[in-house]
Amino acid sequence: MTVRYARHPDLRLTALDSEGIVLHLGTRRYYSVSESGLDLLQALAQPRTHQELVAVLTAKYDVSAEQASAAARDFLEHGRRSGMLTVEDAT
Amino acid sequence: MTASPPVGVACRDAEVASWLADWLSGMRLEPPVPLALDVHIVENLPADDDPREPFLQPLVEIRSGAPLDDVRIRWRAGEARATIAPGARTALVELTRDALRDRDRLTQTFLTATLVFLLRRAGWHHVHAAVARDPRGRDWLFAGDAESGKSTTAALLATRGWAVGSDDLTFLAQNGNGVTALAQRSPIALRPGGYALLGLAGGAAARGGRKSAFFPEELGGSWAGQVTPQILALPRVEGSLTRLEPVRPREALAELVRWSAWVALEPALAQEHLDLLAALARQARCYRLFLGPDLFGGRDVLMELMP
Repeated sequence: MTVRYARHPDLRLTALDSEGIVLHLGTRRYYSVSESGLDLLQALAQPRTHQELVAVLTAKYDVSAEQASAAARDFLEHGRRSGMLTVEDAT
Repeated sequence: MTASPPVGVACRDAEVASWLADWLSGMRLEPPVPLALDVHIVENLPADDDPREPFLQPLVEIRSGAPLDDVRIRWRAGEARATIAPGARTALVELTRDALRDRDRLTQTFLTATLVFLLRRAGWHHVHAAVARDPRGRDWLFAGDAESGKSTTAALLATRGWAVGSDDLTFLAQNGNGVTALAQRSPIALRPGGYALLGLAGGAAARGGRKSAFFPEELGGSWAGQVTPQILALPRVEGSLTRLEPVRPREALAELVRWSAWVALEPALAQEHLDLLAALARQARCYRLFLGPDLFGGRDVLMELMP
């Protein structure tokens, strides 16, 4: 099973000082995101797997694959729960 | 009456057309592209079958986004509605004669909301903010909600000789590499508490007599129709001493988004609006402004805090 994640089409984001603000037009809620969170959301303009997001983090930050994997998993879980992300099973 | 208002009006009823032209001209807003209100007087309005969840503002409900993609604004105090098609620069406005009997509320709520959406099509995006230019020529923007002290502060600054623009209805626009704030020309409307704190007398009755209104010139200041904010202040009434505390631009941006709820309406224009708010937070020095009673002493406290 290959699960892919993508940015919800109702999201708008803007960067400021390497960080960002994310606005969900559907729920009219907004979120602050860290620099790495902003990187992940930008990558998620296209559907990505967890592993692809780990690669995004390890390419930019000085972190181990394990640390990046945990960070990406946390981000995806939070993003899924808050409605910022869509999930598709591309099996 | 001004023959060519900055936002055009078409209406078969000459008296209504003249009244609306006067209202629009009085705001002194000059958007960079032609915009218009196409106004029709109707017997009554049919019920809406719009499936979209409304966004509620005082006396106004707004529907936007999918699946219809237009903007529909309905007045809740009478029979009036406006429709703006996607990408259109003209708002179709339908009013009953009954709605026209309450023109103050009609303009302050329904027609102002319609204008806000129309101006978005000219790249002007709304923010709840007062704007002012201090005696040293620095431009300030005070962003916050209805209880944050914007109007009282704006009126006080006018008494100190500052140039003051709007006390609430402000538009942001990209101007070269910077963000410009454009103020609607309207009197500063004070609640009885602010009126008393400033020791003012007179003023025009506003908001059904619940507020007293003054143009900045009547308070000793001047009008600033357009500023380029260098200082972004997020006011709140708190504490005994007025103070400014720096905040990070990202925090300021979050506050701006919070006080610009309309940013989330109309998906096609939301990104532009959000980017303007971010550019403002990047451009200005950002502060929380805690307003204390010392503000109303004899000194210009804000000038002392920001020498």
